[in-house]
Amino acid sequence: MTKIKNILIGDNAFIGVSHLSHSKARETLQRLDAEKIVEVISAARSCGANGFTFTVHPTNLQVLKELIGSQSLNGSFMLYPTLPYAAGYVRTMTEKGVVGTLAEMFGQVSILDRAKLVLEGGVQSLAGNPIGVMRSYVNYELARIPKGAAIRSVLLHDVVTDLAVSYRSADLIQSYIENIRNKWHATPGFVTRNFSKFIEFFNQMGWNLRDVLVMTPFNRVGFQMNPSKEACEVSLSKLEGGKVIAMSIMAAGYLTLEDALDYISKLQNLDGITIGVSTPKHATETFARLKSL
Amino acid sequence: MNNVRDVGIVGLGKMGILHGGIVNALPNCRVKAVCEKEKFVVKMAQRAMPKDVSYYDDCASMMENENLEAVFITTPINQHVPVIGEVVKAKPDVSLFVEKPLAESANSARLACEATAKLRGVHMVGFQKRYSPIYQHAKRIIENESIGDLMFFRAHSYSSDVVREGKSWRSKKGIGGVLLDLAPHLLDLLLWFFGDIESISAVRRSLYSKEVEDYAYASFKFKSTLTGHIDTCWSVRGFRLPEIMIEIYGRNGNILLSDDMIKVELAESNGSRGTQVLHKQSFDNSVPFLLDEPEYTKEDVSFLDGISRGSTPVPDFVEAAKVNVLIERIIEAASEES
Repeated sequence: MTKIKNILIGDNAFIGVSHLSHSKARETLQRLDAEKIVEVISAARSCGANGFTFTVHPTNLQVLKELIGSQSLNGSFMLYPTLPYAAGYVRTMTEKGVVGTLAEMFGQVSILDRAKLVLEGGVQSLAGNPIGVMRSYVNYELARIPKGAAIRSVLLHDVVTDLAVSYRSADLIQSYIENIRNKWHATPGFVTRNFSKFIEFFNQMGWNLRDVLVMTPFNRVGFQMNPSKEACEVSLSKLEGGKVIAMSIMAAGYLTLEDALDYISKLQNLDGITIGVSTPKHATETFARLKSL
Repeated sequence: MNNVRDVGIVGLGKMGILHGGIVNALPNCRVKAVCEKEKFVVKMAQRAMPKDVSYYDDCASMMENENLEAVFITTPINQHVPVIGEVVKAKPDVSLFVEKPLAESANSARLACEATAKLRGVHMVGFQKRYSPIYQHAKRIIENESIGDLMFFRAHSYSSDVVREGKSWRSKKGIGGVLLDLAPHLLDLLLWFFGDIESISAVRRSLYSKEVEDYAYASFKFKSTLTGHIDTCWSVRGFRLPEIMIEIYGRNGNILLSDDMIKVELAESNGSRGTQVLHKQSFDNSVPFLLDEPEYTKEDVSFLDGISRGSTPVPDFVEAAKVNVLIERIIEAASEES
C-alpha cells in the first residue's frame, strides 16, 4: 500500500449531518458548540490530522475563528472548504422557489462583484449569467473564512458538481477552476458521488486531472459509490496523477474503523482521507490509529 | 444521434432540474426540450444546460415542434393536470412522469386519470420512497406476516422547511400546505403498506403560514381494521432534511423504520426476542448516476424501462390518485373536527 499523506477531519458531526441516522445527528449537534468542536479538532491535530474539510456553515466559521485565535496553524494544518452550503439553499428553494433562491444568493454578493457582473455583460445578462453569479457567490463565501490558515483546496459541493457533470456544463466547471486558481491560489476541488462519470467527463473535455482535487466516497460496502463500487475502484486505479481524497470511508459510521482501513489501505492513488469525529477521545483514538498506518 | 431517447421537462424548478439532470446522465437519454415560463430561469438554463436543448414557454408548441418520447411534469401542482391534458392532446403516444402529488385535489387527480384513456405511452407519479430498499424490505415483512397480524401503527413526517411565512407556491391556498407538500410520501407509503382506509379523524393547524396548514394530525381506520395515526409538520426545528418515521406493531413483533434504517423485533418461539437492524448501507444502493437520493434515479430508470417494455411503472396515475383522495378526506375530517 502507499502511504496516505493527508489525514483530514470532516465536519459532518459539527453541523448535524449523519448519513446513518438523522436522529443521531441531531443529538450530536445539541451536544456540540464551537468551543467543544475546537477541542475535538485540537485533539485530532495533536494525533496527526493535517487538514479540515468543512462546508461554509456559520458554526464552522465560528470554529475557525476560535481555532485560529487560540493556536498557530503554521501551514501544518490546511483548510479544504466545500461550498456552496447546499442544504441551506435546497431549503430556500422550497421556501422561495428557484428565482427567490438565486435572488437571495445574488443579494449576498458584494456590491463590487455585482458591479463587475453587470460590466461583464450589461444589466440584461445579469439574470442570464449563472456562471457569473456562481463565481461571485463562491468569492463571497470564501471571503467569509477567517484569515490565518492556508487553504489547500476549495471544493465545489457535490450538488453543484454532479449537476454540472449531468448537464455537461463545461463553462461552469472551467470558470470555477480558473477562479479558484487565479484569485485564491488554491487547488480547485470537486466533491462528487459519481466518481467514474466525473473522471469520464473530465477526460472527454480534455482537462488535466493532475490540476484538481477530487473528494469522493470509498468504502467496503460501496455506499454512495456510483455507478458501482467496482467501477469507482477501476477509475481510481487507472488515474494518472490527480489527487483523490476518500470520504465516507466508514460508510457514515456503518463500518468500524479497522474494517474501513482494511479496505482503504488496499487502494492505490489516494492523496488522503477525511473522517468525522465528534469527541476529543474519539478524535485521539481515530487519528492515532490513522497515523500508525 | 441514433437511439437516443429525447425527453422534455415542463417546469424547471427544484424537481425539474433534478430529474432533468438524472435523465441527461443516463445512457442514450437526453433532455431535448424545456418548457418554462419564467424568463430568468430560462436564461440561466441556457448557459448551464447543453446547447442542443430547446426552450419554450408553452407546452403545446413544445409538443408540436419536438419529437419527445417522454415528458417530465415538474410544475407547481395545480398545473399538473392542465399540462397533462395539453401533452396528451398534442401527442398521445408520449409517456408521462409527474412529480408527486399527482394533482392539487381529488377532482383534478380524477381528470388526470381520465386523460390516460387517450394516452398510449406509460404514466407514473414520483413517489420515490417506494424505490427505497428499506421501505421495500418493510413491505415484504408486512406481506409475509412475520410480525403477525397487525395491531396498530404510528407515524410522523417532519421537516424544518417552513419556520417563517413562505413565499413560494408551496405556501399558497389550494396548491400548498404540509398535507400537499410533505405528507404525500408518508400517505403513499401507508396506502402501499396497508391498503384502503375506511374512516378518518383529523386536525389541521397553521403555525407560520397565512393561507395553508403547517401541521396536521390524522387517525385512520383501514378496511383491514388496522388503526393508527400520523403527525405531519414542516415547521419543526432541527431537521436538516425531512424525516419519516413509522412504527408498526404486530401480534408477533414490531417494525421501526425511517429513511435511514429498519429495525425488526420478533418474538421467538422460546419466548426471547430477536432483533434485526438494517441501515441503508446494508443494501446495494448504487445507481447509474446519483443526484440527491438514489431513489430518484431508480424511479426514473423504472419509468424509462417501463416505456421500453410497455409495462406500467409504479405507481401509475390511478394508484397515485389515491393519495389526493386521502388528503381531501383528511381535510374534510379536519373541518368536521373544528
